[in-house]
Amino acid sequence: MERYVEFEHIDKRFVGVHALQDISFRANGGEVLALLGENGAGKSTLLKIMSGAQYPDSGKTVLNGKEIVFHTTQDAINAGVSIIYQERQLIRDLTVTENVFMDFLPRKRFGIVDFAKAHAETQKIIDEFGIPIRSADLVGALSVAHQQMVEIMKAYRRNSQVIAFDEPTASLADAEIEVLFGVIERLRSEGKVILYVSHRLKELFQITDRIVILKDGKFVRALETKDATESELIRLMVGRDLGDIYNNLDRNAEKGEVVLDVRHLVSKKVRDVSFQLRKGEVLGFSGLVGAGRSEIMRAIFGADPIESGEIFVEGKPVNIKSPRDAINSGIGLCPEDRKEEGLVLERTIRENTTIPILKMISDHGIINTARERGIAKGSIDDYNIKTHSMEKIVIELSGGNQQKVILGRWMSAKLKVLILDEPTKGIDVGAKSEIYQMVCNLAKQGLGIIFISSELPEVLNISDHIVVIAGGKISGILARGEATEEKVLALAMREHTREERN
Amino acid sequence: MEIKRVRLNAGKLLANNDIVMLIVLIAIIIVFTLINPNFLSFKNMMNIFYAASIIGLLAIGMTYLMIAGHIDLSCGTVAGLSGVIISVLLRDTDISAWPVAFFITLAIALGVGLANAVLVNVFELQPFIATLAMSSVCTGASYLLSSGRAVLISNQSLMHIGSGRVFGVPITVIILVIFFIVFGYILARTVFGRSVYMIGGNVTAAKLAGLNPKRLAMSCYLMSAGIAALAGVLLTARMHSAMPGAGSGGEFDAITAAVLGGVAFTGGRGNLVGCFIGLIIIQAFANGLTVLGVNSFWQVVAKGILLIAALVFDYIRRRGLSKSLEEEAMRHLDDETA
Repeated sequence: MERYVEFEHIDKRFVGVHALQDISFRANGGEVLALLGENGAGKSTLLKIMSGAQYPDSGKTVLNGKEIVFHTTQDAINAGVSIIYQERQLIRDLTVTENVFMDFLPRKRFGIVDFAKAHAETQKIIDEFGIPIRSADLVGALSVAHQQMVEIMKAYRRNSQVIAFDEPTASLADAEIEVLFGVIERLRSEGKVILYVSHRLKELFQITDRIVILKDGKFVRALETKDATESELIRLMVGRDLGDIYNNLDRNAEKGEVVLDVRHLVSKKVRDVSFQLRKGEVLGFSGLVGAGRSEIMRAIFGADPIESGEIFVEGKPVNIKSPRDAINSGIGLCPEDRKEEGLVLERTIRENTTIPILKMISDHGIINTARERGIAKGSIDDYNIKTHSMEKIVIELSGGNQQKVILGRWMSAKLKVLILDEPTKGIDVGAKSEIYQMVCNLAKQGLGIIFISSELPEVLNISDHIVVIAGGKISGILARGEATEEKVLALAMREHTREERN
Repeated sequence: MEIKRVRLNAGKLLANNDIVMLIVLIAIIIVFTLINPNFLSFKNMMNIFYAASIIGLLAIGMTYLMIAGHIDLSCGTVAGLSGVIISVLLRDTDISAWPVAFFITLAIALGVGLANAVLVNVFELQPFIATLAMSSVCTGASYLLSSGRAVLISNQSLMHIGSGRVFGVPITVIILVIFFIVFGYILARTVFGRSVYMIGGNVTAAKLAGLNPKRLAMSCYLMSAGIAALAGVLLTARMHSAMPGAGSGGEFDAITAAVLGGVAFTGGRGNLVGCFIGLIIIQAFANGLTVLGVNSFWQVVAKGILLIAALVFDYIRRRGLSKSLEEEAMRHLDDETA
């Protein structure tokens, strides 16, 4: 029997927003269908309706000829629909088997769990996927990529007919993406219906067969991937021509003296790393996820203890034992995980902006409200944070605007070095190009910028030099002119095979 | 569309816990006054505040700790222990000036607060368990020090603080109000107060933005223990004796006051204005039941129900909030695309 999902005139309103307007399209079994659109285009709402978390106001969803109505997420799972979310829904302290069989552990008599059977079946799936993990491994000990695989195995084990991926590669490096794509290919060949949501256009050309473009809750077009071009897709989803994001950047040409000098840094997962950063320079850090990029930065920033090595800021040795020490030495960090590590989500933009500079906005420990409001307003204006008030709670902002709040936080901190760890993760194209320009502007002001990114085109085009990390070490430094995706990948994989065997 | 707008505004109003609790308080006062007009008399109001003063002090430290994402279950027994210590010092040693005895008591209480902080910061115990264990230590210590009997005090000036009045207002009430104003101001307007909110809201983010969560938590534990010592000494001064079991259960009332006042167990939310209103609600409720002649055991039941009601209300409010947040976020994303 041929499998398909068909959306017919789906309509959904929230207060003040028409989130989905008369959406109709069909996804066939045996093809990977991309859902493309900027944030707010309606992709998430559509996924939520598919998962049973939201209910459409009108319209129907048809699965293999039968209309399906989901009132709960369990209904959707029972009907064979699985959504693989960006945030993994796994229990870290349980084994792979327990996670894969979370909702249905096989039982023996008297309700006793048949672990032997569960492990055997899980290991079978793992082997089919061809991933070097064991069924008894704790999920918390696995790499992010492998955790993602466990999530997919869960859907696979349920024999889901429809599997939707929501930004599956957001936290994966290129080599890991290959593994993921292998698995998706396999699911496709089994005739499953696969929906694929991603902001990374390059991937769509690699893995998808057709692309459905949504904009402002409306269906724009469906086109065959092989007939599409990148610029056409951008034009269709943005509704305007962004041009070449990278070529139009107003870059900084003036490089100054060395502002950050790291010598023989050793810490947990970091082995003897040395590099120099100049004023006005954007230094890209590339490498596979787990290669130690973030760990190097955490050590420099005082978030992880340094075992040995020296750090010099403007030629003077600094002794950094905590983030506060780093900030006082003129180093700022925008962490990788905005929500978990960057923002105090339930507090306002104003309060989130001034955390590192509370001393500056206070007299004898008492906060000067006028000064604080002035700084918050300045950062909202300078960083183009879209909000009607600085008293807005940051959880209400979009990802792009949340990232700008974190960038804006460092505006008044008199920094010399700013470390950006995956600053564009999960952010739509428009906000991305804004952030690129902000990075260039900061470099123009004489800051040294460290730019970590798993997205190769981005790191290649933004950075003046690219440091490639593999296995906690620097495996090469390339200038922008000479760096290509192939060269960077080759360096990044240099120690990868050895690492995995350990 | 119009109807939806009105409903949203009502929802926003309900989301402001201080206003809701103020309405609840006024409702309680009106109901009890209608039943018994004496309820609203100055004398009875002072009784309410007087009864609230010990719990109120504990609630200040509790509010700071809960906003910071911690909790102190030992504050009630630290108060009890402090009462015993000052009484024993005044009875059994040559110290005759109560301020001297008070400072020794304060120092010991701060030692307990420091121990809490070490357990939580260094050994990374859950605050709930660490302070629960400390609570047992303090209870045992106060029984040991007092041999399990009430310790009488005869220091006139200390007793005066406990029961004296200025223009009809009990001294302890004046102390309570001053403390709420001072600590309310510190929480709302100082770098320290702001930092407490930030570590409670997201400890990792606060740390990466340069705050020192452990030091801030330690300050809160010390503050809680220090204020508890004062509360215990005031209780002893009022009762003219220290009972070894006194104060235990105080942490429960303090938590109830804080939660009624909108302080979240999850940290990062609440303030001392709300906590004060919560405090007065509890005491007005208890006092009203007494005025009505309700069995005091029922009052204990009522207190538990009050805490449950506050938590359920908080849940409903949060659920409503997260729904409206979701909708707001959708709308905002739309703006961004435009």
